Amino acid sequence: MTESTTAHFAELMCAAQAGDADAYIQLLNEITPRIRQIVRRQRRFLGADDIEDLVQDILLSVHAVRATYDPQRPFMPWLLAITRNRLADSARRYARGAAREVHVENFAVTFADDRANTDIDTYGDSQALRQAIEALPPMQRGAIEMLKLGEMSLKEAAHACNTTVGALKVATHRAMTALRKMVAKER
Amino acid sequence: MTRETEQFIRQLAENVRPVRALAQPYVRATVWLGLSVCYLAVVLLLTPRHDLSPKLSEPLFIIEQLAALVTGVAAAVAAFATVIPGHDRRWVMLPLLPLAAWWASLGPSCIQELNHFGLRALPIKHDLRCFPFIVLLGAIPAVAMAVMLRRGAPLTPHLTAALGGLAAAGLGNVGVRLIHPEDVTVMLLVWHVAGVIALSALAGRAGHYFFNWRSLQRWPGSISHASENSAR
Repeated sequence: MTESTTAHFAELMCAAQAGDADAYIQLLNEITPRIRQIVRRQRRFLGADDIEDLVQDILLSVHAVRATYDPQRPFMPWLLAITRNRLADSARRYARGAAREVHVENFAVTFADDRANTDIDTYGDSQALRQAIEALPPMQRGAIEMLKLGEMSLKEAAHACNTTVGALKVATHRAMTALRKMVAKER
Repeated sequence: MTRETEQFIRQLAENVRPVRALAQPYVRATVWLGLSVCYLAVVLLLTPRHDLSPKLSEPLFIIEQLAALVTGVAAAVAAFATVIPGHDRRWVMLPLLPLAAWWASLGPSCIQELNHFGLRALPIKHDLRCFPFIVLLGAIPAVAMAVMLRRGAPLTPHLTAALGGLAAAGLGNVGVRLIHPEDVTVMLLVWHVAGVIALSALAGRAGHYFFNWRSLQRWPGSISHASENSAR
């Protein structure tokens, strides 16, 4: 790294500190390949995407602490200190993540018992169920239609049929008991 | 260069606002000292110790307070140096010498008390009133220190916080000595110096909560990694 390059970076950084976006883009574009090279050298085992993530992390850190650059000091030691620090941080994060990870075998989705492995509900006669619902008293039928079929909340349903939440709960419970009995009778 | 990184750089540049470069650590330490001394002066004016005038004519008392004050200032300079990337790391040793001088300033009186009372009867029992005073007097300097340190880079959060804590507690201790009439030296060594070290250690332990990259990288309309953007 020549002295003129360092001075050039320092100049661009001073302009960036003053809010010059063009100088800032130029600076970041010029330092990014250097940062990437360091990251690649230090983290040979990482894939291209992970390396790029680290590079962006370092650029974001540079951006966040750009006020700490003192124009009277050389630029590269400042940049390298941030780069080394972020690399060490990422290594610590990686180690922490690896320590917390538990590798487990792929367990079967359900238990081995046959009863736990049914794909569909055994009751499939929707026509009979519809008839059973229609046979319910109006209040209970409304409760089932709004809460179970319409997926309304208790509050919404109570408001819609001009009743209380408590009364609606009772109606739903009675309707479900009645439906269970009717469906069991048909089987 | 990948397209994501190019896009990321453009985003960073769009968000670039003028920033004022941080001053040198010793300049920032002077500013912090000025703020803290103003606060201590107000407390001192409200509740000075009744024997302050005669105490100020005792050379050992003056040396002890000066050493504690210099320890605080040196710790502040060192703390501000740790948040500047690329700054010489040897600055963290700066408070060691005044800290040693502070301890040493209590030595002669400790030996005197030891000879007078003997090891078993040493008066180290204390009503613990000093400790909250140190915390109270160090609180405003500690808050000012934390706010100023957060403008820097959180390179060594634990060390930075420990040095910041030492600076605030050292200054708090000077304040306590000027308002609280306690002069048993062994007790001072145990409760004051050890208290300051304990506060510093506690601050160091919690350092990463105050100083971390995550909180620094968050700002209005915050920028996230380009890879995250493309994933959304």
